[in-house]
Amino acid sequence: MSQRALSGLRVVEYSEFVAGPYCGRLLAGLGAEVIKVEKPGVGDKARNWGPFPQDLPHPEKSGLFLFLNMNKLGVTLNVESAQGAKIFRELVKRADVLIESNPPKEMTRLGLDYENLSKLNPSLVMTSITPFGQTGPYRDFKGCDLINSHMSGEAFGNPAEGVDNVEQEPPLKTPAHTGDFMTGLSAAVCTMSAVFGRLANGTGQHIDLSQQEALASVGRQELAFYLCEGTPHTRQKGRKRRGGILYPCKDGYVCIWAGPFLKALIEMIGNPDWAQTELFQDPTLLSQYMEEFNRLVTAWTMEHTAEEIDRAAIAKGVPCSPVRTVAELVNDEQLAFREFFVEIDHPVAGRLKYPGAPYKLSATPWKAARPAPLLGEHNEQVYCQMLGYSRPDLVRMRQAGVI
Amino acid sequence: MQKLPLEGIRIMDFGQMWAGPHVTEWLAVMGAEVIKVETRVRLDFMRMVGIPPGLRDKAPNAGSAFACLNFGKKSITLNMNQPKALELARKLVKISDVVTENFGGPVLERWGLGYPELKKLRPDIILYSGSGYGRTGPHKERPSYAEIVEAFDGSTWVNGYPGDGPNTVGVSPWTDGTQAMHGAFAILAALYHRAKTGEGQYIDAAMIEGSANFLGELVMDHVMNGRTGERIGNRDKMMAPHGCYHCQGEDEWVAIAVASDEEWKAFCNVIGNPEWTKKKEFSDELSRWKNQDELDRYVEEWTRKHHKYEVMEMLQKAGVTAGASLSVQGLAEDIHLKEREFFIETEHPVMGKLRLAGLPWRLSNAPKGNYHYAPLLGEHNDYVFGELLGLSKEEIAQLVAEKVIH
Repeated sequence: MSQRALSGLRVVEYSEFVAGPYCGRLLAGLGAEVIKVEKPGVGDKARNWGPFPQDLPHPEKSGLFLFLNMNKLGVTLNVESAQGAKIFRELVKRADVLIESNPPKEMTRLGLDYENLSKLNPSLVMTSITPFGQTGPYRDFKGCDLINSHMSGEAFGNPAEGVDNVEQEPPLKTPAHTGDFMTGLSAAVCTMSAVFGRLANGTGQHIDLSQQEALASVGRQELAFYLCEGTPHTRQKGRKRRGGILYPCKDGYVCIWAGPFLKALIEMIGNPDWAQTELFQDPTLLSQYMEEFNRLVTAWTMEHTAEEIDRAAIAKGVPCSPVRTVAELVNDEQLAFREFFVEIDHPVAGRLKYPGAPYKLSATPWKAARPAPLLGEHNEQVYCQMLGYSRPDLVRMRQAGVI
Repeated sequence: MQKLPLEGIRIMDFGQMWAGPHVTEWLAVMGAEVIKVETRVRLDFMRMVGIPPGLRDKAPNAGSAFACLNFGKKSITLNMNQPKALELARKLVKISDVVTENFGGPVLERWGLGYPELKKLRPDIILYSGSGYGRTGPHKERPSYAEIVEAFDGSTWVNGYPGDGPNTVGVSPWTDGTQAMHGAFAILAALYHRAKTGEGQYIDAAMIEGSANFLGELVMDHVMNGRTGERIGNRDKMMAPHGCYHCQGEDEWVAIAVASDEEWKAFCNVIGNPEWTKKKEFSDELSRWKNQDELDRYVEEWTRKHHKYEVMEMLQKAGVTAGASLSVQGLAEDIHLKEREFFIETEHPVMGKLRLAGLPWRLSNAPKGNYHYAPLLGEHNDYVFGELLGLSKEEIAQLVAEKVIH
């Protein structure tokens, strides 16, 4: 059997909620040993986020925590205490990668900044995830998913089609914590590049990942239009001149892309008289009359269900999809065929279904090897077996609030 | 001299549009030699997108969309409909480490360049295939444009304002971004594995699988409680005030998120502790959340009197999370991004001086990255066919005439 892609890679994750833990999840899923360091007693704040089965909060049953932190080992450590900081340094000394998402000042205050840690471990790859990066005038600003979405231009560009009433409808943050996920993913890409590069010469790295930049990077096309053409970004509906448009239908909504498929679309809706005029035969002319066009298409879509429209679109080769909910996603036949969802047993939460791998690697597949750790579950394994502390040491550390 | 981490890696890139090129853009900036296999017969559409006025006659080398998605790459033209082109492609595979593609269907297979064939040419080859739904399964042939996929994967359903309908997630190619970044990670992991074991592999990355991860908490709420998620706009499940508020000027906004009692007190201090903040409805976190309609109205009365950057500075100074809502213009002028040199300035032979968004890739012990301007169409034909594949000038000229190198 092939070894796993990241077998032997040792990662310490000193981060909570979404971004850092998603980076850790990606590494753990391909076989890296990820030791997640949580505050004693409280743990990662994702433990209190939910969702919870039947809405009964329980720190070992939070859906967000369970999903993000599967495949990891979990320890508790009070890094503020002298003994705790010492143990943290021992963990980092034996590690290849440290993922952390603390404010820059914090790590310096704790003596755990890159300058100090790299002296201890010159090959360390330290990935620091912050809202605005390690440098610059906003360096010490607080961030969160909402603020990062707005400060990166992401919110100004959402919804993609624009809004009817610019005064009433503000720029919109992306759903749930998708911004934080994108940040964690960007951190993982940067981390992997440093880990790969280190094979050649053993050089460690401090990776400075700014959430603002990670999200602004996704909007690079719109930035290019402004920077190269000078056209400012408007939020008015109709700004989207290309790609899928949403139309309401009898039982919901569909997303259809007319554009290059205009003829096929006209056929699909039954070659109505209005579509025979010159205006609707010329794509360049049409782009100036999208509102009228969309109204006429809507008249048709409102007469049909999403499923009917989907079938007609497939038959005519028009790019289309019903607007589906996460319920359809979880029960989707494509994802079932690809065995995308995985079921794991967790000692407290029980057997649950989770999203699996965002890619299929033929030789070194992603695996769900273990569920998310209970708080401090691997204290003995990590502190005693890996670092050489004794059981009585563990008791003393617990009594002193170090672990 | 510091090296870029992917120096020495060669990538044969069939990627087009947004998702494919963004993957290899990262790899190119990080030092890989990325050779874009293009053709005049079917251009990468992005070459025609965002052409500044006055440069329309300079297509296909004046698309600003292409410029911002193809830093650091090389370009060859190869008309894969021609048998001689397939022969040259096979030769190029032999000296490449990775092949990447995001075609709408099994195009590589049609050319006899599916993974089994690539493996015969080079046993440790890494093939990356990006698609909307994956290269296997009943839906593998569904159209995979970003907005269509977002509608399919549940992202669109949960994107919108409270009480209003669903909307496509902006910035426009959101799932393209999700996929590209997952792809970059997977390729780097595969390169790492190959460096240690000599084994290559095939990577099949589906947009919907990436999205299902990004929507993980919603998936879990469905698995646990049968729910489908709701559109809550700029609001939060717990925090209040949490939203986007009008500031001075037209279409000027600030985002504010108050996360604790402590931050609420700080917020009240900044706005001068007006009487309304002492109302019972706002006395604790849960009450504030329950009464946020009213709360938001009061907050906006205050923010409307100030400039968005002013609000941000005042609140951040007091330890409250707040940020100006920036448009592309705001980003371009932002002092923080300027100081961090997020934007890249290059001199493009056709488009002139260009200023474009860089990548959020910053390693302390590595150079900034290869941000060479996006290649002109076929700019590196001589280099690739001549220097790398050993064809003579005459042979190349003949192949150009035959529309093989085309």
